Amino acid sequence: MTHSAPAALELSKTLPLFRRALLDHWRSTAAWAVGLSAAILLYLPLFPSLGNSAEMQNMINALPPEMTRALNYDQIASGPGYTQATIFGLIGFLLMTIASVSWGASAVAGDEESGQLELTLAHAVNRAQVVLERALAIGVRIVLLSAVVFGLVWLLIGPAQLGIDTGNLFGASVLFAGLALLSGMTALFAGAVSGRKIYGTAAGAAVAVLGYVLNAIGRQSPDLEWLLNLSPYHWAYGNSPVTNGADWGVAFWLWAISAALAGLSAVALHRRDVGI
Amino acid sequence: MLWVQGKKGACAMSQVIEVDGLRKSFGRREVLHGIGFGVERGEVFGVIGPNGAGKTTTMRCLLDIIRPTSGSIRILGQDPGVAGPKLRRRIGYLPGELFLEQRITGRRLLAHYAAISGTVRPGRADELAERFNLDLDRHTRKLSKGNKQKLGLVQAFMHDPEVLILDEPTSGLDPLIQQEFRSLLSEVQRNGQTVFLSSHVLSEVQQAADRVAILRDGDIVRIASVANLREGAHRQIRISVTGVSPAELEVLLRDVPGLQTNHVHATGTLTDVSATHEGAIQPLIRALAPLQLADLVIEEPDLEESVLTLYGSATKHLAVDSGAGGRTQR
Repeated sequence: MTHSAPAALELSKTLPLFRRALLDHWRSTAAWAVGLSAAILLYLPLFPSLGNSAEMQNMINALPPEMTRALNYDQIASGPGYTQATIFGLIGFLLMTIASVSWGASAVAGDEESGQLELTLAHAVNRAQVVLERALAIGVRIVLLSAVVFGLVWLLIGPAQLGIDTGNLFGASVLFAGLALLSGMTALFAGAVSGRKIYGTAAGAAVAVLGYVLNAIGRQSPDLEWLLNLSPYHWAYGNSPVTNGADWGVAFWLWAISAALAGLSAVALHRRDVGI
Repeated sequence: MLWVQGKKGACAMSQVIEVDGLRKSFGRREVLHGIGFGVERGEVFGVIGPNGAGKTTTMRCLLDIIRPTSGSIRILGQDPGVAGPKLRRRIGYLPGELFLEQRITGRRLLAHYAAISGTVRPGRADELAERFNLDLDRHTRKLSKGNKQKLGLVQAFMHDPEVLILDEPTSGLDPLIQQEFRSLLSEVQRNGQTVFLSSHVLSEVQQAADRVAILRDGDIVRIASVANLREGAHRQIRISVTGVSPAELEVLLRDVPGLQTNHVHATGTLTDVSATHEGAIQPLIRALAPLQLADLVIEEPDLEESVLTLYGSATKHLAVDSGAGGRTQR
């Protein structure tokens, strides 16, 4: 053990906080990957018998159209529509949002509340570095999870008769990651401003839930369509990216706003007292 | 203020920690009311005070974890708020409340802290862990409070920093380890490292520190060397003499400086006196020397009590009841 210590020490000198954050969270990252995989393996193989059948279409037709629109089930009879509605739009979105928001809220505020941030900041680091390296670690974890989703769905395209274009799947995965990152970075920012994990969690969850709700309401009538402009969920999924391909402009903005929130978090933490 | 800036300009240069007019408010509540002190290079400087006196706030200001409302701080000649990581590299810090909840071994945690602080001499962490009898291969969150404290001490000392800021360093340590800690303190002191430590128990500080600042409600009540503090402390004294009446004895003892007779009474040929005494012991001994002493008890000055009188009268009563301080028979 001792002889390997200098090497390990040398290795951890580049981006030490980023590396520590990744290592500290590898268990939870793996657990979320398992959860997402389980959801995908539960939903997608059912498509040939469920979504692709006439009975299913009849059932969807029998539902109130408002409900169908709210759940994004209007295209559920097609493979891409089914994947969009179940995985990217619902269960995957939910799991990724929870993961991202909890990471975002704990990266600064949670660490501060548990009393551990104080000791880190007493070392030779500056606060912006702490925030940005940890934000980067969250980004990397989200990209990893999205890659798992992309890979697993891609493997199931043939077996589950989904008929999804790989490029569209990739685009949808990028938007999927961006959407989760936006909630996570909102949580990071609110946590960095307030020092309270609960505020971070609330803010991150609010972005996701309000985005989802505004999308559901906005789709109900032309009078309410303006609400869609306020919904990050709709920015990402409004044109059904699994079916139609990603709007790369939106993808850029989701990631850019997230990066800006990480930057603002660094500024917010820099300006205030820690651990009071 | 303890030192005169203009006169001792050269002296102030050697001061490793200089705090002047430090104020800190949280919202409307001011917790530090403009405190000032200086710590010389190679000195062990203790700050004591009851919980909530402002010890931790002061230390957090020194490390730029919280920012002063006003006043100035210089550590190694630099302002911690401006100097940032470069300065903190030269400081070792032990927080008052240590939370180590990671699922990693002590060794890995130390490697992480080593990566974000000054250079750690190879083998130094192991050496310190061995002295404290700490197993570095156990997961940190499974460690007992005392072992976590040891790990905290190792991370504070391992990069041999020029300045050590230790908040309640001996809390949770058993007496043997406390002794080891004190011998480590004298070593680093000999190396010219400067130590600023806090405690709410005087006996800890008096064994480890050269000088002590007494902090109460955000004000420094007194800064003194431990020896000075001891001089100002009260000794409890009991005297039994034969061949002198209580009245005669009272007259004899009346002029001894610092002596306060509390109670005199005679049983048979024996006259008993209980008294308190502060200041130099020599005049008292001289006054007693011609007497036919049957018994003499001089208790070691109770620093705890003398400090608590500075804290305020309300806390004093509590302290007297707890009856701290050893006794010596002469």
